Amino acid sequence: MRSISEIFAPLSYWVSAAGISLNTDIFEINLINLILVLSILFYYGKGVLISLLENRERTISNTIRDAEERYTEATEKLQKARIRLQQAEIKADEIRISGLAQMDKERQDLVDAADNDLNGLEDSKNNAIRFEKQRAIEQVRQQVSRLASQRALESLNSRMTNQLHMQLIDYHIGMLRSMSNK
Amino acid sequence: MQIEQLQIFEIDNPHQVSSVEVHAQVLITSWVVIALLIALPVVATRNLQTIPTGLQNFIEYVLEFIRDLTRTQMGEEEYRPWVPFIGTMFLSIFVSNWSGALLPWRVIQLPHGELAAPTNDINTTVALALLTSVAYFYAGLHKRGFSYFGKYIQPTPVLLPINILEDFTKPLSLSFRLFGNILADELVVAVLVSLVPLIVPVPMMLLGLFTSAIQALISATLAAAYIGESMEGHH
Repeated sequence: MRSISEIFAPLSYWVSAAGISLNTDIFEINLINLILVLSILFYYGKGVLISLLENRERTISNTIRDAEERYTEATEKLQKARIRLQQAEIKADEIRISGLAQMDKERQDLVDAADNDLNGLEDSKNNAIRFEKQRAIEQVRQQVSRLASQRALESLNSRMTNQLHMQLIDYHIGMLRSMSNK
Repeated sequence: MQIEQLQIFEIDNPHQVSSVEVHAQVLITSWVVIALLIALPVVATRNLQTIPTGLQNFIEYVLEFIRDLTRTQMGEEEYRPWVPFIGTMFLSIFVSNWSGALLPWRVIQLPHGELAAPTNDINTTVALALLTSVAYFYAGLHKRGFSYFGKYIQPTPVLLPINILEDFTKPLSLSFRLFGNILADELVVAVLVSLVPLIVPVPMMLLGLFTSAIQALISATLAAAYIGESMEGHH
């Protein structure tokens, strides 16, 4: 081999020109020992290597399967949580609406009660006023009648003579007699 | 056969590309590693599914592993942009080491040198270590500006020479750790095979697989730790 470029020349030219030959002496090339070593290596190494690789493959597939299961579980839970959220929202709306309605009703009740109280008080006020008016009128009437009878008595006392008095008594007896005769 | 094995100790014959010398066998194996690392995600990310199966599951697991690693070292806020870098470090070192240990490279016989893990060459490991160095320098400067150089005086100015030395020993230790581990494992297996060709090297090869995987993890973790340390500032 004079230069590296000769390696790319055709093999036969290369072999003959450079004196490369195939060595077939078994002992020299250590073939038996090599085969022995290789077979021992494969015999023991194959078992170990295959178990190692199978372990690895199983671990990987388990991990992937676990991850996928957890993913589906998580999406399911998410779905369920969304549905519950929707229901909770609807219920919250309902509660809010009913609460507002109740608030309105109570306000209305309060207003009505206040009105009723107002009316009652007004009535009692009117009654009191009327009662007082009646009383005042009664008093005035009593006063007037007393005054009138007092004056009548005074005028009678001032004008009465014995003769007038006897005539008056005869008139009253005659009236009583006619009334008893009816 | 013995001499062939011992030829590993020879300096691999460099070849010329214009005026730059390259070690072609490391390049070939590096390209194979790159092709593997590009083909794997392209194939696995067809038909992406939510629940991963088969190849997609596997590379997702690898990605999670790298991400955890980065997050542990750099903290929660700023680990995200560095995951690709740490992932590249980890995966390239890991696939390089295991391809060198598991693929029957010796089937293809080159006239000079031989194919093996690309990380058994000091050039590869030094390149990766220098990348890490540049990365943590960039991280520190980008995050803190020129006050990054204040870290040389932390916690006391007496430690200034040691801190400067640290900037050189970090890439040195990273490169030599990886290089030493991988090359040593290859040499031990080669020696054992030359002694007893059949069953005996097998435990050593299995141990080699284990330690090379650990080395990839260590390189990536240390890279992340250096970057995190240079970004976090002084306490």
